[in-house]
Amino acid sequence: MRYVRLILFVLIVLVVMAVPLALVLARSYFLAPTAQPVKAQPIQFPHSVHVQAVGLDCTYCHRNATTSAQATLPPLELCMQCHKIIPTQGRPELEKLVAAFQQGQPILWNKVHQLPDHTHFVHSVHLSFGFQCSTCHGDVGAMGKPGVKQVRDLRMGDCITCHQQNGARTDCSVCHY
Amino acid sequence: MRRRDFLKVAATSATGAVLFAGCGRIGDGVPESEFKIAQPVFNTNDWVYGRDAWFATAAPPDQGGYGLIVRVFEGRAKKVDGNPDFPGIHGKSDARAQALVQELYHPDRLSGARRATSRGSGQFQTIPWDSALQEVAQILREVGGEHAVLITGRLNASQAAIVAAFRKATGIRQAVLEPDEFVVLRTAIRRLFGVSTLPIPDLANARFLLNFSADFLHGWIAPVALAHAYGEFRQGKPGQRGLYYHVGPRLSGTAANADRWFPIIPGSEGLVALAIAQVLSTEGKAPQDRLDPYLTALGLDATRLASDYAPERVAPATGLSAEQIRELAHALVEHQPAVVIAGTSAAAATNGLFNLVATFGLNWILGSVNQPGGLLLNPEPPLPDLRVPDDAILSLRGWTELFEQIRSGTISTVLVYRANPVYALPSASGAREALQAAKHVVSFSPFLDETTTLADLVLPDQAWLEQWGLSVPDPGPGFAAVAIQQPVVAPFLDARAFGDVLLDLLRLLGQDQPWSTQEQATKALALQLRSLGRGSVTATNDKEFLVTLQARGGWWDEQSRATGSAPSTAAVQPREPAFAGEQNQFPYVLHPYPLPSLGYGELAHLPWLQGLPEPISTNVWQTWIEVSQATADELGLQTGDLVRVLTPQGVAELPVYVNPATQPGIIAIPFGQGHTAYTRYAEGRGVNPATLVAPETEPDTGTFAWAATRCRIEKTGRRARLARFEGMVPAFQLEEFPIVRVMAPKA
Repeated sequence: MRYVRLILFVLIVLVVMAVPLALVLARSYFLAPTAQPVKAQPIQFPHSVHVQAVGLDCTYCHRNATTSAQATLPPLELCMQCHKIIPTQGRPELEKLVAAFQQGQPILWNKVHQLPDHTHFVHSVHLSFGFQCSTCHGDVGAMGKPGVKQVRDLRMGDCITCHQQNGARTDCSVCHY
Repeated sequence: MRRRDFLKVAATSATGAVLFAGCGRIGDGVPESEFKIAQPVFNTNDWVYGRDAWFATAAPPDQGGYGLIVRVFEGRAKKVDGNPDFPGIHGKSDARAQALVQELYHPDRLSGARRATSRGSGQFQTIPWDSALQEVAQILREVGGEHAVLITGRLNASQAAIVAAFRKATGIRQAVLEPDEFVVLRTAIRRLFGVSTLPIPDLANARFLLNFSADFLHGWIAPVALAHAYGEFRQGKPGQRGLYYHVGPRLSGTAANADRWFPIIPGSEGLVALAIAQVLSTEGKAPQDRLDPYLTALGLDATRLASDYAPERVAPATGLSAEQIRELAHALVEHQPAVVIAGTSAAAATNGLFNLVATFGLNWILGSVNQPGGLLLNPEPPLPDLRVPDDAILSLRGWTELFEQIRSGTISTVLVYRANPVYALPSASGAREALQAAKHVVSFSPFLDETTTLADLVLPDQAWLEQWGLSVPDPGPGFAAVAIQQPVVAPFLDARAFGDVLLDLLRLLGQDQPWSTQEQATKALALQLRSLGRGSVTATNDKEFLVTLQARGGWWDEQSRATGSAPSTAAVQPREPAFAGEQNQFPYVLHPYPLPSLGYGELAHLPWLQGLPEPISTNVWQTWIEVSQATADELGLQTGDLVRVLTPQGVAELPVYVNPATQPGIIAIPFGQGHTAYTRYAEGRGVNPATLVAPETEPDTGTFAWAATRCRIEKTGRRARLARFEGMVPAFQLEEFPIVRVMAPKA
């Protein structure tokens, strides 16, 4: 009985200290990129319609992914090559696209995969090594409205782990130059 | 406390702390546009190939105004580098240029015109641009130009042309704020060589460099061009390594590169130079025709030089031995071509002008003025309109007079553009009180610095990478050169170029606008270059000329060089340095120095530069004092001890960095910190040495002699952690992995 009170006290202290620890871990979990809700976009673009229903390859729109550093967004004129003959009536999202094109207004998307400016990521190198777009971006082709969600952490630790697993270089200048 | 209470307090405080830290989201305070990507309507060039586009532009004028290129993708500027085509820099740049992207995307950059809720509160409310412009125009209409002053930093050529037009139309006075060491340097060069531009040493072709205190590799006038030329000087010619001797009171990063460092008493650079001239003269190594300009500039004759400035007489006042002075003199004639430069703290002594005239003047004796491997003078800008007038550059004396006029009400309105006199000038200048007393203060700064905080209206300028401009590098590469600055990205925030605002004000005041925008002014001035019919850009029509100019990043003409002229009257009288404070009360000399990264504090708002280690101590993000090992032993100090630094002017508590290479009588302190505003990265960090040094002036130029104050230090018994790059834990040997291989010399 002599030590019961002491043990009880220690246990209570541990429980008390566990609360902030749990909060820290929860904060880290809920602020992780993959835990973020789908970002609201100016147009609810359904990748599923374009990839699964129409059968377009990723590189039909993201034309430079296999040949250069940047995957690139297509210009609106590329969208309009098809959408000039697809009826927009009753499709408010399509109406936004056509209106933007007619008014010459670029569409400002909210970036889903945000990479800092001091980091170089070269899409073509990763694709030519044999990775699929989905390795990093997930099954975007199945993502419908409201839009794309980030499925992988893609912070530096994630990059380095993947580089180590695949025998790629991990010195700073690989990405920061 | 009862156990139950303890548990309650522990649980509440820990949970509260975590919840508090957890409030907010990643990227708080970052503009919304930071997380946007624009899908263009039509294919832009970089989108077609998926490659980054590189646009040529120019560095800000206070960084030298040389050519840069910027990597841009998806509408964002990602990386700055030197323009490989631009003369003098060979595609190199420095950290300050690289950090320009941080100015562009800074989270605390001002967006939209704003009005102070109450003067000096630091609180502003956003107002429409049109009303802000109307208000400024109304102020100028009411008070008239003669009761207003426009305070600016160093302007580029097209801004200067717009300001000149604005001055002519409104009658407003202009005052330019530049670090005082450059005011002294410009005066010395004008009086010694008869040119108004700064010279550049032709290091790449020199065999010997004698440098008096100038931190030319990390700051000073052209760190990029000179660091590249220094590489050529040392390793550019097989089997012929250039020899570099450094004379100065502190072992700076530049001095640490020298073959030999000659530590001297601060401010005695000119005396050493005179003694060198005496040796060359008495030993017959200085032909009379080369010695004459030197003697004229210093108001001396050969007899007085021989008698008063013999090494034995001068040596005690310099900290060198007579033999060392002779050695320096002999090295100058034995390794030809040789070049002599001086600056930084040499210019900030009470005899700064004498120091620079006596040292740079040695180039006359060596016959190295405008010679390969010598000191190259730079020509005037190729067009008179491109000249940035230097008559408006004020010294500390000029600023004190101006602020007195503002306090007395003679000048009631202050417009200020990218200058921060409240921080940069010593408090004795009265800058803060003057701005508080002024009837109207309008700032065009893109950041809330100390001066802008005192403004009624803020009309924020665009970032450098968003603007048009023409820039004449100063110093140039030895011949006429002009860099063109063009926006590399679409404006990121709701800001307007300073030139555009001035031209709008002219329109509202009913005056003629020579150009409608800063862009048009830039292009019109650029086309005047075409009409010269010479230079590196040739084109059959104006459009082709402008496109080629923008693509190459500039125009230069290697045939257009300066001749200069020898002085016909005395430029300055020899003078010994003086220090504020009695030696028995203040035994050490306080030796401030500009940081390679933050300069005099104007770049303290950029976190990349805050995090760039000072080359000798590797300290970052703070202010410290460097003390010698001998002083530390004497006072029982260790690195990290907090001491009180006392000068006749002020007191500050600072951590100590013990540096074995510091001279025993000197306490060195970096400029750069001590901001009371100027964004989250600069505010409330460290100490501004300008608050510690006495407001001594250089008598000939009236400039601020910030290297002329004595100090003492007292222990506080407390410690502070120094953030630094070098290891905090001493290295120790492991038997199996020896870190230092000790090799005994062969018997």
